[in-house]
Amino acid sequence: MTLSRFLTRRLFFSVPLLLGVLFFTFALVRIGGQDPVALLAGPTASAQELALVRRELGLDQSLFAQFLIYLGKVARFDLGQSWLSNKPVLSELIDRVPVTVELMFWGVLIGALIGIPVGLRAAFRADGLYDQISRFVSLLGFSIPTYWLGLMMLFVFFFLLDWAPPGMGRISLMATPPPRITGSYLVDGMLTANWVAARSAFGQLVLPVLCVAIIASAPIIKQTRAMALEVLGRDYVRLARAAGLPEREVRRIVWRNALVPVVTFIGTEITGLVGTASLIEYVFAWGGLGQYGLNAIISGDFAVVQGYVLFLALFSVVVFVIVDILTFLLEPRAAGEA
Amino acid sequence: MTLLAVEDLHTHFISRSLDNEMREARALNGVSFQLERGRVLGLVGETGAGKSLTALSIMGLLKPPARIVAGQIRFEGKDLAQMAPAEINRLRGDRLALIVQNPRASLDPLARIGDQLVRVHRAHRQVDAAAARKRAVAMLTSVGLPDPERCARSWPHELSGGMAQRVLIAMALINEPQLVIADEPTTGLDVTVQAQILDLIQGMVRARGLGAIVITHDLGVVAHYCDDVAVMYAGGIVEQGDTRAVFRQPRHPYTINLIDSTPERLVIGSGRIFGGPPPNLFDLPVGCHYRARCPRAADICTTSPPWVTIAGQHQARCHRVDQP
Amino acid sequence: MTAELLMNAAAARPRPSFAARVVQRLIGLSRRSPTMMIGAGIILLFALFAIFHLWLMPHDPVRAYPTEVLKPPSARFWFGTDGNGMDVFSRVIYGSLYAFGIAVPSVVIGLSLGVPLGLWTGYRGGLFDEIMMRVIDAIRVFPIIILALAIVAATGQSLVNVIFVIGLIDSPIFVRVVRAEVLALRSSNFVEAARALGNPTWRILFVHLLPNALRGAIAQTSVRAAWAVRISATLAFLGVGIQQPTPEWGAMIRQGAEFIVTGQWWVALFPGCALIVLVLGLNMFGDGAQDLLDPQRKTTR
Repeated sequence: MTLSRFLTRRLFFSVPLLLGVLFFTFALVRIGGQDPVALLAGPTASAQELALVRRELGLDQSLFAQFLIYLGKVARFDLGQSWLSNKPVLSELIDRVPVTVELMFWGVLIGALIGIPVGLRAAFRADGLYDQISRFVSLLGFSIPTYWLGLMMLFVFFFLLDWAPPGMGRISLMATPPPRITGSYLVDGMLTANWVAARSAFGQLVLPVLCVAIIASAPIIKQTRAMALEVLGRDYVRLARAAGLPEREVRRIVWRNALVPVVTFIGTEITGLVGTASLIEYVFAWGGLGQYGLNAIISGDFAVVQGYVLFLALFSVVVFVIVDILTFLLEPRAAGEA
Repeated sequence: MTLLAVEDLHTHFISRSLDNEMREARALNGVSFQLERGRVLGLVGETGAGKSLTALSIMGLLKPPARIVAGQIRFEGKDLAQMAPAEINRLRGDRLALIVQNPRASLDPLARIGDQLVRVHRAHRQVDAAAARKRAVAMLTSVGLPDPERCARSWPHELSGGMAQRVLIAMALINEPQLVIADEPTTGLDVTVQAQILDLIQGMVRARGLGAIVITHDLGVVAHYCDDVAVMYAGGIVEQGDTRAVFRQPRHPYTINLIDSTPERLVIGSGRIFGGPPPNLFDLPVGCHYRARCPRAADICTTSPPWVTIAGQHQARCHRVDQP
Repeated sequence: MTAELLMNAAAARPRPSFAARVVQRLIGLSRRSPTMMIGAGIILLFALFAIFHLWLMPHDPVRAYPTEVLKPPSARFWFGTDGNGMDVFSRVIYGSLYAFGIAVPSVVIGLSLGVPLGLWTGYRGGLFDEIMMRVIDAIRVFPIIILALAIVAATGQSLVNVIFVIGLIDSPIFVRVVRAEVLALRSSNFVEAARALGNPTWRILFVHLLPNALRGAIAQTSVRAAWAVRISATLAFLGVGIQQPTPEWGAMIRQGAEFIVTGQWWVALFPGCALIVLVLGLNMFGDGAQDLLDPQRKTTR
C-alpha cells in the first residue's frame, strides 16, 4: 500500500488514542483527591462563594458533560487558563515546545551517535572485553537517576572546574535573548548574528544535552547490540561469510539490516526520554514543556496538566508517524507488502 | 584427479555446562573420503549424523564451541583444517562454494539480486562495476532464470523459492569454483522444482568439470544424481562407494536399514524398520557407534570396526559385514 | 560384554555431595553470567543493610545535631551531615529499608495484577484482548515518570499510594510478557490435547499455561524492582509522596540539590551512589536472569 494510505490509516487510529488519553487525564485530575475549588477560593471562603466558583469553573456538572465542554473548547483551540500564571495554556505550551525540542533533539541525536556504534561494536566482538564493558556501561546508564546526574555534572563542571555556566535557564543572565524566530536561542542567535547570545546559549546547552545523551545512550546500546546479534545469526549473514565476503562487507550488511529495528526502537524510546528531559529541565531550570508540565502536575494546575498531556500524546503520534515514514523508506519489503 | 581429500576429520563441540563441567560432544569422528573432479558425491544420513557439519568444517565456517580437533582437509595442495581464517575466507566463494538451504532467507533483504551477485564477484576479482554487472546477468541466464535483467533488479522477497535457489547457485558459481557443496539444496521446494534444481547442479558440474558434494537425507536424490555415495551415522562414515554398487549390495547394517525403510520397499513388504533414538554425542558407546541399534551386534562390536573393502571403491566399516 | 562392563565401571564417578553440587552450580552460573552473580551479591548486601540497619547505623537517622549542620565527611559522621544536621550515613543505611519496602510490595502488586490479566487476555483473545492492548499502548505514550507523578499527585501523596501506583504502572509489562507467552503456547499441541481431554478453562490456564508464562514474568521481576526503586526516588526528589525528613534516598537528593551549587556535595552524592548501586545490582541480576530463563528474548522489556 502506498505511503499516503498507510499514513492516513495510522492517523485515523490515533484519534481514539488521543481522546482516550485526554479523558483519562481529565477523569484522573477531577476525581483525584484535591479539590481545586477550595484551593482557588481560599480557606476562608463561605459555602456560597465556593458554590459560585464551582459553577464558574463548570465543576458542578457531571464528569462526562465537563469533558464534552472541554472537547468543544479544544476544538476551538481554547485549552483554558493556568491558575498559577493566569495566562492561556495553549500559548504557554506552544512557546515552550521549541525549547524542549531543542534539548531532546540534540540529546537523542548525540545519544544515538554514541550508542549505535558502541552497540554494533559490542555485537561484533560478542563476549569479548569490549562487549562486557559496554554492557556494564549500558546497565549503569539504566541505573543512574537523571536528576542526580544533572546535579553531579553541575557540581563537577560548574562548581569544581568552572567550565560550565550555572544551571539557570537557557541563556546567561547577562546576555539578552535574541528575537524569537524558531524559539531556540542558539539558532535564533546565529540567525540574527547575535554571537554573544548564541555563544551563551550554546554554553548553557552543553550540560543538559550531555545528560540527556548519556541517559538515552543506555537503551540504545543495549538494543543495537541485541538487534545486531540477531542479524548476525541470520541465514543471509551466514551465506555472506560462506561466499567469502570480506569482514568489512559482512559488517555492512549487518548494520544496515539492524538499523531499521533500531530506528523504530529509538522512536518508542523517545516517549520515555520525554520524562528524562523533563527532569533535566527541572534541574537546569530550562524553561521547557517538561519543567512546565512537572510543576503543573505537582501544584494541581489542571488546565495546564490536560493541555500538557494532550501535547505529549500529539508528540508521540508525530514521532510514530516519523518512524513509520523512515521504515517505509528504508525497508523495501514495507513498500511492497504492509 | 583427487580434488578434495578429507582424512580422519574430528570436529567436537566443547563447552562448559551450568554445573561447571566441561562437556565435549564428538560430532565428527574420523570422517575420511575423497572427491574426484567431475564427480558428484552424495552425503546421506539421518538428522544429526554430521553431514552439514562436515560441509561447515571443510569450508571453515565452524563457530565456537565447535572446532576441528584433528584431521586433514586437503584441497589444491593445502590443508584447509590448518588454514588461518582470513586465508580460507579468500578461498570461499572463489575456489570453494556452498549452496545452502532456505534460499529466500539466505539473501540479504536490503540489496537487489544483481547487487548481491556483483558483491560476491568483486570480492574475489578485480573487475569494474559494469563488467561485474554483465557477469551477474550472464550467470542468472545460465541458471535458467527467465528475464535475467529484471531478476537482477528485483528484491529477494519478490522471488519464489525455486528462483531464489537458482540465484544461490548462480552466486556459488559466479567465480568458477573447483568444489561446490550443496547442503540440502532442495528442502522447502516444490517437488517439480527440486528435480529442476538438481538437474541444474548436475549439469553445471559435468559441463565445467567441477567436483560436488550433495548433502541430503533423501536416497532418491542420491540414486538419481550422485555418482558416489557416503553414508554417515553418528559423526562417521559407515559405508561409501559407487552409488550403484552400494545401493545394489549394501553391506553395512545401517545402510541396509536405510534402503529397506524407504516407503516403496515398506509398501512392497520387503522392508523392515529398525529405528531408535539418535546417538548421544556427549556419550558415544565405545567401539562401533551403531551397535545400540544394530541387529547384528555382538561382543566384538565393542572394539572399533575396521574398513572392509567389498569391491573396488565400495567399502563398509563393520565387523560383521558378511553376516545376514 | 565384560569389556564393556569394566570400562563403564571405571568411568562411573561417585555422586558428589549436595553441598559440592551447589557450589559447582554457583561456579558454573558465575562463569556463564558474572553480571548476574554480582547483581545478586549487591542485592543481598543491601538486603542485609535493610535487615540489620539498627546495628549498622552509628546515629539515629532523624536526629538533628544543630551544631553540626552541613559538615563534610569525618570520623564521626562518615558521610557528613545534611542541612538539618542529620547523619547522612545512617540515613543512607535506613534508606535501603525504604527501597525494599517500596520495591517488593509494588512488584508483588504488579505481578498479581499483570499475570492473571495477561493469562486471561492472551487466552481469550478477541475484542477484550484488542481493547486491552489499545489501552496498554495508550499508557505507553506517557513517560513513566509523568504518569506516576500525575496519579500520585491526583490521588494523594502518601507512601502507600506510591507503592500502589508503581505496582499499577508495572503491571502492563507483566501483562504483555505473560500474554506473549500464552499466545505462543495457545495453539501448541499440548494445550490442544488438554482441551481435547476436556479440561476446563481455568485448569488449562493455571496448570498448563501458568508455569510457562511465569518464567518470562519472573525474569522481569528484578528489572521491575529496579524501576520501582528509581521511580519512587524520582517522585521523592520532586517532593511528591515522601516528605522531609524521611530518610529516603530521593528525598535526600532533593535536599542535597540545594547545596550542590554551594559545594556541599556529600548531601546529594551518597544517597545517589546508594541508589545507583542498588538499581544497578537489580538490573544486573535481572539482565542475567533474563538471559538464562529466556535466551531467545521473546519477551523483552
